[in-house]
Amino acid sequence: MMITLLGKAISRSARCLWALEEAGVDYEHNPVDYTKGEAKTSDFMAINPGAKIPALIDGDVAMFESLAINLYVAQNYGKGGLWPDDAAGQAQCLQWTLFSATEAEPPGAARLVQFIFRTDETRSQEVLDDAAERSKAPLATLETVLQSQPYLAGDSFTVADLNVACSVEYLVRTDFDLSPWPQVQDWIERCMARPAFQAMTAIKEKEAA
Amino acid sequence: MIKIYGSLVSRATRNLWALEELDLDYEHVSLDWAKQKNRSPEYLKINPAGKVPTLTDGNATLSESLGINLYLAQKYGQGGLWPDDDAGRARCVQWSFWAGAELEPLAYGRIREFLFKKEAGRDQALITDMAERTGPLLNLMTLSLAEHTYLAGETFTLADLNVACVVEYLERSNFDFSNWPKVESWYTNTYGRAANQKIQDQRAPIAAEMMKRLQG
Repeated sequence: MMITLLGKAISRSARCLWALEEAGVDYEHNPVDYTKGEAKTSDFMAINPGAKIPALIDGDVAMFESLAINLYVAQNYGKGGLWPDDAAGQAQCLQWTLFSATEAEPPGAARLVQFIFRTDETRSQEVLDDAAERSKAPLATLETVLQSQPYLAGDSFTVADLNVACSVEYLVRTDFDLSPWPQVQDWIERCMARPAFQAMTAIKEKEAA
Repeated sequence: MIKIYGSLVSRATRNLWALEELDLDYEHVSLDWAKQKNRSPEYLKINPAGKVPTLTDGNATLSESLGINLYLAQKYGQGGLWPDDDAGRARCVQWSFWAGAELEPLAYGRIREFLFKKEAGRDQALITDMAERTGPLLNLMTLSLAEHTYLAGETFTLADLNVACVVEYLERSNFDFSNWPKVESWYTNTYGRAANQKIQDQRAPIAAEMMKRLQG
């Protein structure tokens, strides 16, 4: 049974494409386009009645919530890699994934919305500044941890890094100056240089073309 | 021994509920944030942001209340809080993130107005706006609860626990559930479980004290 990821690449589906590429599993990508109403079809809403992308189908598993999908992919297809073998590392993966959802993404997403859906003229500097301010606390937490280890769950790249990096990447894409957090800057560059991240970027570029 | 840090009037109650469901031995360290106990150098070592809750279990140390519950369910709740089937487990992970990413910002935004402001100072426009945006989320829960008794299937799992402790914010801020009767009866069944009742009984006097302080 083939895994199918539903959702156009230019959306939160990108982070799931990244995870699937990291896990090296075979999957199909169905680029359901919410801008064309494709997330509101009865077929799609049978998977996510909330009509949001991404969603994932794997055998009799059907689920939504991008970061949850990534945990599912890591736990089922990334043992010893994205999903570490030790309990301490696994705990860190869960912690950082929730940290991404509750702490890192809200300010990053607030900035990204201004960049994607507004023009230079209508962009709200107030929103951007407020979100930048709110980003400082989670960045300080990341900086502290990355001072003593190269990756968030220890010595190697795991789903903890992937799930937090996809929120921090929103800051990178909105010209946020990360230089006060040099460890975070170095870490996000390492994450974004990974072949799987590049493969995901290629899918996005192809879709945009 | 498992240790859970955070007072009974913090998100640590979610973890205490899970620990009780799992019938685990644990030590509760009630770090009082009002007394800055969460800023001690010892605590910052296990939680650099100084937030509660934090859980330690052998070599494992983690924060984020809903993440802690996923950890506990996966490690100690096989076949119970953590279902045996892939589909059920996927739903547990999905609903936990939905609770944190979709519902909690609205539910917490609402209860903050009720907790930290006196009645006259509450932002009614914000409360109304949040209530309107909460409706579609409760519709989504209703669809799931029309298919099965609980969010991940026919039995109570971590999905219910993690969502219920966010729906709690709506309940405690007098949210009107009458348009969502399935959610309301699910909540009553879920939140009223013996394991949670034990924690809520301990919490009640402390919460009453806190409300007196905040609402004067």
